[in-house]
Amino acid sequence: MIVRIQGEGQWELTGSQLDELDKIDNQMLEEIDHQDGTRFQQLLGQMLGYVRTKGRRLPTDEIVESNLILPPSDATADEVKALFTDEGLISSV
Amino acid sequence: MGILSRMSTIFKSKVNRALDKAENPGETLDYSYERQLEQVQNFKRGIVEVTTAKKRLELQSSQLRADVQRMDNQARQALAADREDLARTVLVRKQAAQQQLDGLDQQITALNDQQQKLSDAEARLSAKVESFRTQKEVIKAQYSAAKAQVKIGEAVTGISEEMTDVGSAIDRAQNKTSQMQARAGAIDELVNTGVLADVTAVGGGNDVDRQLAQITAQSGVDDELAKMKAELGAPGQRPQIGPPGSH
Repeated sequence: MIVRIQGEGQWELTGSQLDELDKIDNQMLEEIDHQDGTRFQQLLGQMLGYVRTKGRRLPTDEIVESNLILPPSDATADEVKALFTDEGLISSV
Repeated sequence: MGILSRMSTIFKSKVNRALDKAENPGETLDYSYERQLEQVQNFKRGIVEVTTAKKRLELQSSQLRADVQRMDNQARQALAADREDLARTVLVRKQAAQQQLDGLDQQITALNDQQQKLSDAEARLSAKVESFRTQKEVIKAQYSAAKAQVKIGEAVTGISEEMTDVGSAIDRAQNKTSQMQARAGAIDELVNTGVLADVTAVGGGNDVDRQLAQITAQSGVDDELAKMKAELGAPGQRPQIGPPGSH
């Protein structure tokens, strides 16, 4: 699977590595409504760090579509929430 | 549905894949490539705008830094003249200016990081566009029309994803920059309305300046007197300066 960290590029991950992302993703989802966004950003940092260290970075000149898109490293819980609300996707949960 | 899958859906809805119904694959590829070159130029301009905004903030920061330094000197000057009240007034303003300065410097650091990331992203995009140029010639030369369609779809979607990513990174940077500029404008406003600038205005005829000027003049006279007294053999005396009107 190819994942893109927005603003940083693309990495290739194995299936079990994706499971790891999924775990962090679920924790982030729980945090998204919390007033204090610190934990959200910690989890995001953890997730991006995992991809950067465990994944295989794709060569710059390789042109391939990603399977999964990850938020940019400086994204806040509020920002992500606003994005979902704008797109009307929050109601689909 | 987790955050990542939703984010991916939103992101992918912005990626352009409108080229799969093309009648002439060769023309489609050439057209797509031309558009990519234009986009890269647009992105470069966007990055230049962010850089320009950052330079403006840096200029403001260095002006504010000089103001803080000047206020610091003025406070010392006032204190040396035994005018603690005046020193206190200056220090209150210095604190306010220092706070603004700290905030500004933090923003500049953040903008620096962002600028670096944008240039890296632009470099990655340019490498992909160059790779696309090579690939399109291969596709034109080697593939049957049907197979070319598939290859074109992959290449165009892949590169459009990269474009979307760089484009939204630049949008984010520009949003942040305009927020910072609004803040910088507010600081200018504070300076212009005198909240911060009273003591910093060069040659300004404000109250603190006048009082300090009075003290300077006063102590100059006192110094000269003391010197004269010493020359005349009178016992040396440290000048004492009280608030205006006490002499």
